[in-house]
Amino acid sequence: MSAADEPLRESAVFNLTGAVTMVVDDSPFSMEVTIQALQGFGIRTKHTPRSTAQAMELLKLHTIDLLLIDCEMEGSDGHGLVRWLRRSGLEPNAFVPVIMTASHVRRSKVADVRDCGANFLVTKPFSPAVVLERIIWVARDNRPFLEAGDFSGPDRRFAPATPLNDGERRADMIRLTSHLADRAAAASAEALTS
Amino acid sequence: MTAVMWKPRTSRLSTIIDQPGGLSVGVAMAQARANLDNLKTESQAIVAERIGRLAALQAPPADQDPVLRLNEAYEIGSAIIDAAGPFDRDDLCKAAAGLCDLIDAALPGAAFDWRIVTVHAQALQLILGLPEDAEETRTEILANLHQMVARKIPAADQPAD
Repeated sequence: MSAADEPLRESAVFNLTGAVTMVVDDSPFSMEVTIQALQGFGIRTKHTPRSTAQAMELLKLHTIDLLLIDCEMEGSDGHGLVRWLRRSGLEPNAFVPVIMTASHVRRSKVADVRDCGANFLVTKPFSPAVVLERIIWVARDNRPFLEAGDFSGPDRRFAPATPLNDGERRADMIRLTSHLADRAAAASAEALTS
Repeated sequence: MTAVMWKPRTSRLSTIIDQPGGLSVGVAMAQARANLDNLKTESQAIVAERIGRLAALQAPPADQDPVLRLNEAYEIGSAIIDAAGPFDRDDLCKAAAGLCDLIDAALPGAAFDWRIVTVHAQALQLILGLPEDAEETRTEILANLHQMVARKIPAADQPAD
């Protein structure tokens, strides 16, 4: 994927079953909604802290591959957790892809959320399609990390992608083509033997 | 002058995603929708309970700083979006988001017209009780709420739909 707003193709194949995922949310129902959506995508949520304090403890102990954080939790802000994580020096968790979710962002918090170092903010209402798009996008996000003044996180400037004329380069499409070719070969072999 | 440090990084997620196996986007979406369908009834009950709490919220006494009560109304509005959002209830989300915008735009220390909260709570109750095909009534309610937001926060004047 080259652009954040590029829609997903139905046939695109991905595999996130091995991703160690953490969802941080103080609302049990919102947490369940996120877990169920992720499960549909083949992602089993391993850690489900209900507060930023619990999340910090877990992040110190376990390596995480994907982090989803609710922006506004009672008594603590999700963006504070991201800011702490990016500055924590925890290797490799300080660089983990982070998606923040928010129902409504107060005007006074917009700058905090923008500058905390998350890879993406998804505002609600969101559909499973939006969440999946963003997860796949952050997985393919190869922006370098920047440390500049107070900011630590992925470079917020998006470089335009230049397409190359060297054939199919999308890994999922290459795998799909190979998968279809294997199936066709298996079917013709079966036809020959019967 | 600010020093800028570049750290080229490749996340483990970028390797995991291309491993053999997995599923297609179409299948993933169908599975996620099926999983969320199981939570729809619970979502409706939670939304109804939160709208009820909003409707029951009393205006703060005149001699009291309204900020605590306003925060409570804001949090309920935000919680309505949380619970209704993943279940295609854009109508409820729009109404709740309008309330959050208005509370967020309130000036600290200034008086707040509590009728804004009351009207939004009533509108949310109405929308919640509407049959699915009552598109015209739904649009009308949302347009009226939108007018209120546009009057109070001219900068937020975006189309109602």
